[in-house]
Amino acid sequence: MPAHHVLIYLFTGAAAGLVGAMLGIGGGVFLVPLLTLLFHVPIRAAVAASLISVIATATASSTVNLDRGLVNMRLAMALEVATSVGGLGGGLAASLLSTQQLFLLFGGTLAVMGALMMMRSGRRNVIADTSVDPGRLGGRLQEGDTAYVYRVRRMPLALGASLVAGAVSGLLGLGGGIVKVPVLNTFCGVPIRVAAATSAFMIGVTAAASVFIYFARGDVVLPIAAAVALGALPGSIAGARLGQRVEARALKIFMAAVLLLVGGRMALEAL
Amino acid sequence: MTGRVEQLEGVIEKALVVGLALSTGLLLVGLILGAAGPLRWGIVLLMLTPVARVAVVTVGLALERDWTFTLVSSFVLAVLASGIWMAVHR
Repeated sequence: MPAHHVLIYLFTGAAAGLVGAMLGIGGGVFLVPLLTLLFHVPIRAAVAASLISVIATATASSTVNLDRGLVNMRLAMALEVATSVGGLGGGLAASLLSTQQLFLLFGGTLAVMGALMMMRSGRRNVIADTSVDPGRLGGRLQEGDTAYVYRVRRMPLALGASLVAGAVSGLLGLGGGIVKVPVLNTFCGVPIRVAAATSAFMIGVTAAASVFIYFARGDVVLPIAAAVALGALPGSIAGARLGQRVEARALKIFMAAVLLLVGGRMALEAL
Repeated sequence: MTGRVEQLEGVIEKALVVGLALSTGLLLVGLILGAAGPLRWGIVLLMLTPVARVAVVTVGLALERDWTFTLVSSFVLAVLASGIWMAVHR
């Protein structure tokens, strides 16, 4: 691959990682459409490259989140049971689907994500009384000078959402955080920062469930996957920093509209 | 209990940092030299990093004698291993 192509893929990975991390939805959402629509990379190769960069960025962000004590490890392990099964199933199912069906599925998923993003609520799920027993899966969270306790509710729902998130990861190369984070936060009582950090911690494992199948099928185009993953690393680190400052509602609504548009464009490829 | 979990988190963090540093180093070398060998090994190492993370957690939980979560973690490891097995034996 010529040097300028390597640079283009590095830049594409960085841009997708930046925006994806800033919005907390992962780089694959933008990476797969950019690679397929702009650079005419086959969709399976784009999905494989996305899975590789998901592993790189999830690994990098986990080291930071572990340091901050935001990852609920027991909850992550329990939900990984569902995401890994979903991921493996998705990876196997992807080989049975046609290119058209994959485009259609990707487009539809982006549209649903856009709609979810528009509706997302931001209520808090913490109990101020720290003497409350958090249970085996719950936890404590220190935010500034204040300590919070939370319990995990509706575990079957969390497992179901994780199974779907895993399948989305294996089929389309998306992390699946967009499914897990709102469900964990809105319905299961997990504080948003813990939900996001725990989800990010799981995403690498979810991607690892299907990525070997893509690799064995020859869908991992080495220079593309390498360049995109190397670009995504600094991109997503910068995006995560920016995301903490940018909390504008207008931006989220704008990006939701972008997701709907990109989703529609991807679905059009199926025709 | 928290002391041990924190120790475990420290070990996991080191495993992740080492895996990531080695694989990105190989990928950089591969891209600069245009060599497929380092690229292939960098990618394989990167793909194995989450698997290693789960293996470390499983051992750590077993050392903590938390059998419920050792079982949970072993299951995840088994799913990942079966994915690798299917990839190798296709």
